[in-house]
Amino acid sequence: MIIGRTRIELEPRLNSSRWLIVAVPVASVLLALIVGGVFLVLTGHSPIGTYLSLMNNGYTTFYGITDTLGLATPLICTGLAAAFAFRMNLFNIGQEGQMYLGMIGGAWAGIALADHLPMIVAIPVVLGFGALTGALWVLVPALLRAKLGTSEIVSTLLLNYVALNLINYFIFGSRGFFRDPSTSFPQGRSVSVNARFGSFGTTNTYPTLLIAILLAVALWWFIRNSNYGYETSVFADSPNTARYAGMNATRLTLSVLLVSGALAGLGGAMYVVGPAGKIDPGILQIGLGYAGIVVASLARYNFVAVVITAILFAGLRVGGAALQISNNPVPIAIAVVLQGSVLLFALGGEIFRRNRIRIRRVTPVTNSIKVGA
Amino acid sequence: MNSNVWILTFADAISIATTLILASLGAILTERSGVINLGIEGILLMGAVTAFLVGDGTHNLWLALFLAVLVGMAMATVHAVLTITLRSNQIVSGLALVIFGTGLSQFIGKSVEGKPRPVQITTLDFGPLSDIPIIGPVIFGHDPITYLTWIGAFVASWYLTRTRPGLVLRATGDAPATVDAQGVSVAAVRYAHTIAGGALMGLAGGWFMLARGTAWSQAATTNGIGWIALALVVFAAWRPLRAIVGAVLFGFTLQVPFTLQAQQIRIFPPEILQMLPYVATLAVLVALSTPRARRLLGAPKMLGQPFVRDER
Repeated sequence: MIIGRTRIELEPRLNSSRWLIVAVPVASVLLALIVGGVFLVLTGHSPIGTYLSLMNNGYTTFYGITDTLGLATPLICTGLAAAFAFRMNLFNIGQEGQMYLGMIGGAWAGIALADHLPMIVAIPVVLGFGALTGALWVLVPALLRAKLGTSEIVSTLLLNYVALNLINYFIFGSRGFFRDPSTSFPQGRSVSVNARFGSFGTTNTYPTLLIAILLAVALWWFIRNSNYGYETSVFADSPNTARYAGMNATRLTLSVLLVSGALAGLGGAMYVVGPAGKIDPGILQIGLGYAGIVVASLARYNFVAVVITAILFAGLRVGGAALQISNNPVPIAIAVVLQGSVLLFALGGEIFRRNRIRIRRVTPVTNSIKVGA
Repeated sequence: MNSNVWILTFADAISIATTLILASLGAILTERSGVINLGIEGILLMGAVTAFLVGDGTHNLWLALFLAVLVGMAMATVHAVLTITLRSNQIVSGLALVIFGTGLSQFIGKSVEGKPRPVQITTLDFGPLSDIPIIGPVIFGHDPITYLTWIGAFVASWYLTRTRPGLVLRATGDAPATVDAQGVSVAAVRYAHTIAGGALMGLAGGWFMLARGTAWSQAATTNGIGWIALALVVFAAWRPLRAIVGAVLFGFTLQVPFTLQAQQIRIFPPEILQMLPYVATLAVLVALSTPRARRLLGAPKMLGQPFVRDER
C-alpha cells in the first residue's frame, strides 16, 4: 500500500515472537473495553465503575470465582468443539444446537437409564449419550461437507434454530418424556440422582470442570502426538498435500466434524449432570455455543489456551449478570458486546503477529520514460 | 379453510420476502466481489434496532431507515477493513460481526424492549386496484420499499450483466489477479461492494422492524433470517432475479407457521412448525449440493480468498 511518499509493506514473520502472542490478545481486550465504554457512556453508565464491578463480581470474590468456573465448564467444551473444527478450516458454528442436543441426550439417559446403574457408571453414560447426540446433530452437515463439499457453515447454523425449537417443544409444547409431570409449571423432568454430581461445597463449581480441563489437555497431547493429529494438521495447511500423501479427506472431514459435535454435546450433558439436572431452557439465553467460537478464536485454536480464555469469558458473563442487580442496571448484553469486539480486534491484530510492518519512504514513479524515444 | 387465507399468506410471503431480497442482494454484491460476509444476521439486528431507536426519537420514518442503512455500511466497513486490508479470516470476521451485532442491538435496545414500534411503513394506496381479488393483496398491497426492492433486483441484475463496473465486479470475484493486472484495484472493488452490500443489509433490518415488527425484542426480531438470506444466495446462484423467486419461497415457509396457527390448524405443534423455514432452507441446500447442481450454480471462484499480489 502506498500513501503519498510512504510505502507500507507487510513482511511475513517466520516465527512470531512470544511477547506478541500475549500482547495481541491483551491489546484486543483493552480496545474492546474502550469500545464497550463508548456504548456505556452513551447509555448513561460509568464505564470505569461498570468494569470494576464486573471484575469484582466475576473474578475477585470466592463465589464470583467459583460461579465463573462453573459457567466456564460447558464453555470449555464448546470452545474445544469450535477449536477442533476451526483449526482444520471446518467452520462448525452449530455448537449452540449440538449443546442443546447433548442436553437432550444426556437428560434422556439420566432419566431412562441412570436409575438402573450405579453412580460410577451412570454419570459417564449420561455424558457419553450427550456426546453421542451432539455428534448425531452434526452428522448431516458433516456428511454433506465430506461427501459433497457443501459448506458446513450455513447448514450447522440452521440446525441451531431447529434444536432451539426442539427444546422449546419438549419443555413448553408437549407434556412428554422430558417434561416434569409433577407440576404444571413448564420445566424439565429431573434426571436420576445417580446421574448427578454434587458441587464442590456450597459453590456452583462441579467436578465436570476437571473433566473439561483434562479433556483439553488430552486433546492437546493427542493432536501433537498422534498420527491422526498430524494428518489433521497437514490437511489444515494444505488439503492437496494431504491428498497426495494418501490421507483420506472424507474420513478426516467427517471425523473432525463429528468429534466437534460430540465435544459441544458433552458440554450440554455436563450441564445435566452438573447444575441443571434436567433439560433447562434457561441455558438457551446464554449463548454458550456462540461464545465457544469466540473463545476458540482468541485461543488461536490451542486447546489448553481454550481453558484459560473460557474462564476469562465466563467471568465476563458472571460479572455481567451481577451488573443487572443494581439501581442503574447495565444490560447483560454488554458482555456479548465485549466478546464481539474482542474477537474483531483480535482478528485485526493477527496481521501484526504474522507480519512485520515495514514503512519505507519511496520516490514516486514519474512519467519520465518516454515511449518510443 | 378458505382459499382467501392462502392468498393472504402468499401476500405476506411477498411482503416478508422484501427483507430476504434486500439482504441477499447485499450478499450477492459482496460475494460477487469475492468477499463472504457472514455477518448479515448481526447487521440486520443492528439495522432493526437503529430504525427503532431513531423512529422512537424522531418519529421520522425515512430518517430511521436512512440511519439503518448507515449502520449497515459501518458494520460492513469493519468487515472490509478486517478482511480486505488486514486479510483476516472472512468466516471468523463475519461471525464476530454477528456476535457483536447481537450483543450491541440487545444492549442499546434494552431501554425500549417490548415497546411498540414508533413509526410504521404504510402500504401504498392504489385505490380500486387493491380491491381486485387475488392480484389486489398480492401485487398492490405493499409499501414503497417493497416495490423499490423489486426494482432494485432488476437494477442489480442489469448492473452485473450489462455494465462495465458489473463485469469488473464479477471478474474480481472470479479472477482478482487478472483484474489487478488490468490496473483496477481489487481492494477498491471489494471495499465498494462490501459496503454497498452492508447498506442493503442495514435497510433490510430497518425495513423489517418498521414494516413487519410489532415491538422491539432482540430475541424475536430476525430469528435467523440473515442466515436464510445467506442460503438464499446459493439458491439464487448469485443472480439477483432468482433471489426474488427464492425469497418468496423462503418467505412462504416463514409465514406458513403463523397462518396455520392463526387458523387453529394443529396438525403439528407450533414449536415443530417453527422449524419449517430452517429445515426447508437446509433441504434446499442439500438439493443444491449435487455435483451437477453445483456446476450450474457457478459460485464466485475466489469467494472467501484474500487477494495478495505476488510482488516477487
